[in-house]
Amino acid sequence: MLTATMRRHLISAALLAPVVGFLAVVFMLPLGVLLKLSFTAPAGPLSTYADILGGWLYTRVFWNTLVLAVMVTAITILAGYPTAHMLTRLKGLTLTLAVYGVLFPLWISVLIRTFAWILLLEKNGPINRLLVGAGILDAPAAFLFSNTGVAIGMVHVLLPYAILPIYANMLRVDARLLQASDGLGASPLATFRRVYLPLTMPGVAAGAVLVFLLALGFFITPALLGGANSMTVAMLIETLVNERLAWPLAGAASFLLLAAILVLLAVASRFVKLGAALEVR
Amino acid sequence: MAERSPGFRFAVHGLGSLVLAFLLLPIFAVVPASLNYGSFIRLPPEVWSTRWYARFFADREWLTSLVTSFEVAAIATAVSALLGTAGALGLTRIGGRLRAALTGLILAPMIVPVIVTAVSLYYVGRYWGMTGTVPGLAMAHVLMCLPFVVLNVGVSLRALDPSWLRAAEGLGASPARVFATVTLPTILPGLFGGAVFSLITSFDEVVLSIFIAGVQAKTLPVKMWEVVRLEFTPILSVASTLLIGLTVLLFVLFRLAAARARVAGVGP
Repeated sequence: MLTATMRRHLISAALLAPVVGFLAVVFMLPLGVLLKLSFTAPAGPLSTYADILGGWLYTRVFWNTLVLAVMVTAITILAGYPTAHMLTRLKGLTLTLAVYGVLFPLWISVLIRTFAWILLLEKNGPINRLLVGAGILDAPAAFLFSNTGVAIGMVHVLLPYAILPIYANMLRVDARLLQASDGLGASPLATFRRVYLPLTMPGVAAGAVLVFLLALGFFITPALLGGANSMTVAMLIETLVNERLAWPLAGAASFLLLAAILVLLAVASRFVKLGAALEVR
Repeated sequence: MAERSPGFRFAVHGLGSLVLAFLLLPIFAVVPASLNYGSFIRLPPEVWSTRWYARFFADREWLTSLVTSFEVAAIATAVSALLGTAGALGLTRIGGRLRAALTGLILAPMIVPVIVTAVSLYYVGRYWGMTGTVPGLAMAHVLMCLPFVVLNVGVSLRALDPSWLRAAEGLGASPARVFATVTLPTILPGLFGGAVFSLITSFDEVVLSIFIAGVQAKTLPVKMWEVVRLEFTPILSVASTLLIGLTVLLFVLFRLAAARARVAGVGP
C-alpha cells in the first residue's frame, strides 16, 4: 500500500525522469566520453593537456580568444549602457518598438547576421566605398579576415545580452534616490557617479559576465569573418576534429575551454545573479 | 539626474538610436543583396532582378534543405514541449538543492560552448547511428530548446495557486481532470512561448547541425554554411531573406499573441 507521500514522490520522479534521462544520455554521457578521450593520447594520459598548454600555437589561439572576448565585452557594455538608459526614458509605442529592436536580432540566425556583415565589410562593399568616398580612408580597408571584422560581428550578435540585464536593473532603480541626491545639491555628474552607476552595477556585471562567457565559445562569426587570421578556441576544436582527426587533443582543448568557463561562472555567481540576467530576455 | 540638460538627453538618445540602428539595419542588407542580377553580390545592386529567387525554388537541394529544416524543427519542438512541460511540473514539486541541481542540468547546454557539445555528440553519434538522420539532429536540437520550455512553463506555473488544485481534488476531480481543467490552462501561455522559441532555436541552429546533419539531414543553415565557405553567391542572400521573412512573420504573430494572453517572456 502506497502512502500519500510516497505517491507524491513517485509522481515527481515520473515527471522528471524523462528530461533527466534525456540529458544524461544525449548531453552528459557524450561529454563524459569526450573527457575520457582527452586522456587517451599514445604519449600519455596528460600529454594532450601539456601539448595545448605548452605549444605556442595553441596558447596563441587561447590568448586571441581571450583578447577578443575582453574587447567585445568592453564595447558591448559601453554601447549597451546608454542604450539601456534610453529605453528607460521611452514610453508607449516608441518603447515597445525600441525593445523589439533589441529582441528581434536574437531571433535571426547567427549565420545570417554574420553573412550580412561579410557583404557589408567586403573590400568593395558599401562600408568601404562610403569611407573611401567620404575621404576617411585612402584605400579600402581589410575588415574581413582580421580581428576587427570578427569584433564587429561579435559585438552585433552579443549586444542584446548586454543591454537587457542593464535595462532590467535600471528599471528597478528608485527614482526618489536620484531626486534626493539632486535635492541635496549634488551635481548631475556626482549623482550619476555616486548614486546611479553603483545602483546599476549589478546589471552591468551580469551583462558583462553573460557576454564574456558566450564570447569565449564563439565559432560561426570568427570562422567566417576572421578565418585563419583570427583563430578562436572553438575554431581550433573544429580543425582538430575535422582536419587533423586529433580527437584526444580536441577533447583536451574542449575541456580547458569548459573549465575556464565553469571557473568564471563559479566566481561570478558569488557576486552576480545570472539567473535573473537570463530571465529578462 | 542630468535629465534636465537637453545636451545630455540628446547625447543618450542619439547614441541609443545609433546602437539600435547598428543592431537592426545590417541584418536587412541581405534583402537588396538577394535582388542582384549578376553572380557577384553588389550592394546596392547595379542591375536588379529576381532571378536568384527563381534559381532557389528550382534547385532541389535548397528546397530539400528547407523541408528538412521544418521537419527537424517540428520534431525538436514537440519533444521539447513534452519533456520540458513534464520537467517544469516536476521541478515545482521538489525542493531545495535537488531542484537547483536539476535546473542547472537543464540550463547547462546554454552555458557549455555549443562547439564542445557538438563535437562530443558527433563522436558518440557516429556509433549510435544518430548522425545523418532527421530524428538524430532533432534530438541534438532538443538540448538547446529545452531550457526555453522549462523556463517559460516554470514562469507560468508561478501563477498557479495550489489551493485551486486542492479545491478541484476536493470536489472529486481525478488527477487527469485536475491537470486538464486547472493546470494546463494556466501553463498554456508559457507552453506556447516555449514552443515558439524552440521552433526558432531549431530553425536557426548551425553549430550542432553542421556536425550531426551529415548528407541526409541537411537543414537550410547547414546548406548555407557549406555554400558560404565556397562562394558569396546571391542565392545565399535569397535563403537569408526567406528565413528573415519567416522570422519576421513569427515574431509579429508571437508578439500579437503575447499581447493578448500573458505569454511569459523568457527567451529572445
